[in-house]
Formats: sequence, C-alpha cells, structure tokens
Amino acid sequence: MVTVSRARVRFLFALFAIASLVLSARVAYWQTVGRGDLLARATDQVRSDLVVAAQRGVIRDRAGAILATTVELRSLYAIPGQMKDRDGHDERPAVAAALAPILGEQPEVIRAALESGADWIYLRRRLPEDIATRVAALGIGGLGFEMEPKRLYPNGGIGAQVLGFVNDDGEGQYGVEGRYDDALRGTAGRLVVERDPANRELAIGLRTASPARAGQDLVLTLDLAVQTAAERELAAAVQREKAAGGSIVILDPRDGAVLALASSPTYDPARVGSAAPEALRDRAIAWTYEPGSTMKAITVAAAIDKGVVTPKTSYNDVGYAVIGGRVLSNALGRAYGPTTVSQVLQRSQNAGAVFVASKLGAPDLYSYVRAFGFGDRTGVDLAAETGGSVRPLAEWYPVDLGTISFGQGIAVTPLQLAAAYAAIANGGTLFRPYVVATRRDADGEHRTAPVPVRQAVSPETAATLRTMLTATVDDGIANLASLKGYSVAGKTGTAQIPSDDGRYVDDAYISSFAGFVPAEGPRMVVVVVLDRPQSKLLGTIPAMNVFKAIAGDALRYARVQPDRP
Amino acid sequence: MTLAQAVRAPHVRRVERRPRQQAVHRRHAPASGLAPARSTSWEVRTFLLASGLVVGGFLLVLLYLAQATAVSAAGYEVQRLAAQRDELRRQNALLEVESARLDSPARIEADAARLGLVRAAAIRVVAPEAVAAHR
Repeated sequence: MVTVSRARVRFLFALFAIASLVLSARVAYWQTVGRGDLLARATDQVRSDLVVAAQRGVIRDRAGAILATTVELRSLYAIPGQMKDRDGHDERPAVAAALAPILGEQPEVIRAALESGADWIYLRRRLPEDIATRVAALGIGGLGFEMEPKRLYPNGGIGAQVLGFVNDDGEGQYGVEGRYDDALRGTAGRLVVERDPANRELAIGLRTASPARAGQDLVLTLDLAVQTAAERELAAAVQREKAAGGSIVILDPRDGAVLALASSPTYDPARVGSAAPEALRDRAIAWTYEPGSTMKAITVAAAIDKGVVTPKTSYNDVGYAVIGGRVLSNALGRAYGPTTVSQVLQRSQNAGAVFVASKLGAPDLYSYVRAFGFGDRTGVDLAAETGGSVRPLAEWYPVDLGTISFGQGIAVTPLQLAAAYAAIANGGTLFRPYVVATRRDADGEHRTAPVPVRQAVSPETAATLRTMLTATVDDGIANLASLKGYSVAGKTGTAQIPSDDGRYVDDAYISSFAGFVPAEGPRMVVVVVLDRPQSKLLGTIPAMNVFKAIAGDALRYARVQPDRP
Repeated sequence: MTLAQAVRAPHVRRVERRPRQQAVHRRHAPASGLAPARSTSWEVRTFLLASGLVVGGFLLVLLYLAQATAVSAAGYEVQRLAAQRDELRRQNALLEVESARLDSPARIEADAARLGLVRAAAIRVVAPEAVAAHR
C-alpha cells in the first residue's frame, strides 16, 4: 500500500490552492479592471472604422460641359514578399519585366522598387483606366489595386487659370478650386462595421454610418467655346509677337458675368508639378500694369460726366502739354492743331488727355478713377486677386494729374479695366464680375445674383462715350478692330513698363485693346493685353487682331444678329 | 421551498388526489388494473412532451440559424451588388469624362486641322426680314 505523507498532501494542497487563487485573481482582473482592454482588442480585430470621403463637386461651364470632375482611379501596389512561385523562387525580376512595358517604365526601376525591402509599396498611383485594366489582366500575385480619387480636367489646359487645381492632399488651389474649396469639398462621412476574416462586412454585425455629404456642383459663367477661342488667339499672338505673356478678359457687360479669362503663360492642371511659378499666376486678376491710353476713355468719361467738357470741346494741340513743370508729349511728338475731345480719343493724344484732366482737376479725376473701381479688388469670386495701385490723392504730384489721365502712374489688372469698360457699355453701372453662376447640392440650386457696385457715370455720359469710342474704331486709331457687320467701340493702349528704379524700361511696352461689341446694346466687353510684344509701339495691332478674331467667333457662337450691313 | 421539495411537490399533489380518484374507480371497477396503465400513459405523454420540446427547440434553433445564414448571405449579396453599383457608377463617370474630352472645342479644332479643314473666312448672316420677304 502506498502511503503519502500528510505533509506532502498539505504541500500539494497549498500549491494548488495558491495556483487557484492566482488564476482566480487573474480571471477576476480580466473580468473587471482589464475587461475594457480585452473587449477593445477583440473588437478591433473585427471592427473597421472608416472615414468615407465626400465626392468633390463637379465644375461645369454655362452650357453644362464638364470642366473638372473627380473620378476614382486605381492605384497599383505591390507586396514583394508574395512574389514567389510554388518552389519559392523569387519572381520579382519577372514581375518587373512584365510591368515595365505597360507602365512605360524601365524594368530596373520597377525591380529596384520591388527589392527596396518594403513590405508594401505603391508602384504607380491613379493609373489611367486602360493601363490598370492591362495590369489586372496579367493576374500577377502580390499586385493589387486601391481606389484613389483624382481630379480630372477633360479640356486639358483650357480654363486652367480660372479653374485652379487640386493638390495631392485634396485641397483646392488658385482659381475656382481654391476660392470655392469648402463648397466643392463636401463633408466626409464615417462608417463603423464589423468584418469577417475576408474583410467582408458582416450583415448581422454592428453597423454605424453617417453618410458623406457630397460637395456642391458649380456651374460657371464661363463659356467653353469662347474660352477656347480666347486661349487659342492669345497663345497665337504671344507666340507670333514673342511676347512675355498676355491676358484676355471677356465680360458680359449686362451683369458682369465672366465669359472667358485667358492668361499666358499657362499650365496643364494635370501636370501642375512641372508648371513654372509664373504660369500659375492668373494675369487677368493677379497681374498689374500701367494701362496707357485705354485710360483716356475713363478720363474723358469723368470730364463729360462732371460737365467740364463735351465731345465737341476743343483745344489747340501743339504736340505736348506742360503740367507740374513737366512736359508730356503725344506719341512721336506729333502736333494736331485744333482738336475736339472726341478726336482726343480717336487719335489717342496724350496732350489732349492732359487738357481734359486739367479741366477736371485732380480731386475729381481721383474720385472718378476710384468710382470706376481702380485701386480696389473687383471682388471677383476667384482666389488671389490683386487690387492694382492708385496712390492716395494726398500723395499726388502735380504731374500725376497729367500722367494718370493717359494711364501712367497707375496700375490696374485686365479684369479691372474690363469691368470699367463694361460700365461704359451698360449705361454707367459698375458690376462686380463673377465666375460662379450657380451652386447645386442636395438642397437645390443657389443662383448668384449680379451685384451692381455703384453708378460710375450717368447713362447719358455712358451713351456719349459709346458714340465716341465707336468713332475711335470707325474713323480713328483703333480702326483695325472694326468687325464686318457689327458696330465696335474701343480704345487702344500702349504703355511703358516701369522699372525698379522708377524709370521706364527702354523700348519695351505693354500693348492692349479694350472694347465692346455691338457698340449699341453691347453683349461682350473684351480686353486684350500683350506683355512686351516684339512689334513694340505697333503692338496694339496684334491686340486689335486678337480682339477681332475673338469677337467674331464669340458673336457668331452667341448668335448675335449683325447690326450693320 | 427547497429544490427537492419543488421537484417532489407535483408528486405529493398527485398522491393527495389519487386516493379520491382511486376510491371512485374502486367502487365501479375494482381490480381492473387501470392504475398502472394510466401511469404508463402519463409517462409516455411526459416523454413525448419532453421530446417535442427538445425537437421544437431544435427546430427553432435550426430556423434561427437558417434565418441568420440567409440574412448573412443576403448581406454579402448586398455588398456584392453595392460594389457592382459603385463600379458601374465609376465606369459611367469615366465615360462622362471621355465624352467631355471628345466634345472639347480645342480637341475638335485640332482634329479638324489635322484633317485639312480650315476656318470659314466669312459667314454671311441673313436678317430674318430678308428671309421673310422671299417667302
């Protein structure tokens, strides 16, 4: 008979008792204090908490054509550790060789990526759909796709300056994308679900969802056909003239709607990374220049509105004017003799503009210049607009009354000039230019109401100016801008370029033309600006040719009836 | 009441009632042997009831499992269909982009130039009054 000593039994009992106590304490701990942690760990294994990205809004032109939209594209990733055949041989070189021709990459580059030591790596992000389909057809193990949103611009670089772009973080930059980023972006949602080991959602598991709210769709005032014509003509003129750049603004003078904004140099929103910084700047709103003789129309409008001159008021032009002890000459120093105010515009006489400004006086000229919107941002709904420069009246030297009358010593943007000419065209009302006509979301449609800023001049003054500017095109210096079948009103401008030391750059000019058509009942205002065209003083000729080409196309496209035989 | 008392309680009640019933039976059919037959019938009924409960419970569980499986399968089908819907929407969006690209005036102009087409030098616009006069 086996006998067990009592002490040994007690020892074993004590041992089991202690072990049981320890285990019980441990179990008690996990069931009480550690319960939450265990539960969280268990839940984490089956629960996924995802941020559901909101769909970025679509941007369309006034006719509904898509200008920018967001589409999910496939990004190709690789798990190099899974690239082995049944015998365990490394297949990465073969994978690199198979992918290289499809991705348009050297096999060595792909192989280096696969052999970089990373467990998981993107080989190419946001692939074009046809390439992704070809890669998927290879059926290579260790390769996979992940959906990622990409902003697409179906018209390439057309309207790039107005649209702006979306960076890699999904943030809108410049243009409409930047200005309306909050509206376009929408609100992200959240989805909490339980998943099985195959990452499929469990139908009878936990499911908490707050749906994403898609961004607003924007309908612009822009007309894709007119925008395309503007960019085509601007690019051709800049290339032909070997100009440093240029800008075109086309407004509907009836309400300030922007029909086209072109800027050169420009860029392709799909390849923003390779764009020069200067190309990102929208010259129509973020570039200032001295407007030159296009400003004479504003000076004359101010003087007529104030009642100090009429179109028939005359003076004797000797080729120059003296003001503040400085001599301000006509172009080429030419003297015209007896001249009416109307002829001042037709011949673009600097001395005549000084004569008119002298009748008006500095305070009133300053007041009208501001009333036409110069020196302030127009308030257009685009990112990065500048306000130009009009020095306070207190800082004016006596000569400034003369120089500003013909557009020197003042800096404007092409859009400001277009808005001012639109005021002349529509009867004197300065409208705030706008680009977004409508915002659409789940709640409905929000239309932008045109904003009349102020009455810059009386309707009678505006009508008088329209007649004078029509004569400038019909019989004056801007004759090359005349358009068969339509009455055209407008004014040329050639301005010198100030340098950093306050002097003007030798032999370099900014040429421009500002006009509207038809002269009676205008449908569009067009401002064309060329920066340093090769033809220098004759640079207004290409500017007028550009105006003519664009206006002809746009009027035909808008089915505007000719108003002349 | 203890568990044992609770288990015994029905029997106690039966024992209390049975003498009265037996007394009746004894008066009308003494020594007929009915008492053992009724006891067997009661046991069979109890067995059948218990078995029925077990089978019923089993069937209920099976029904629940079948429903849960069906719901789960339907859930997977819903997911598959949702993925299919999303993919079709994506393909539709890609087609819209392609359509917009093909409709782009710049592309049409470039293709027209490639085909040797040139822009019309002048387009004559006829006033509606002139058209009406010729009718």
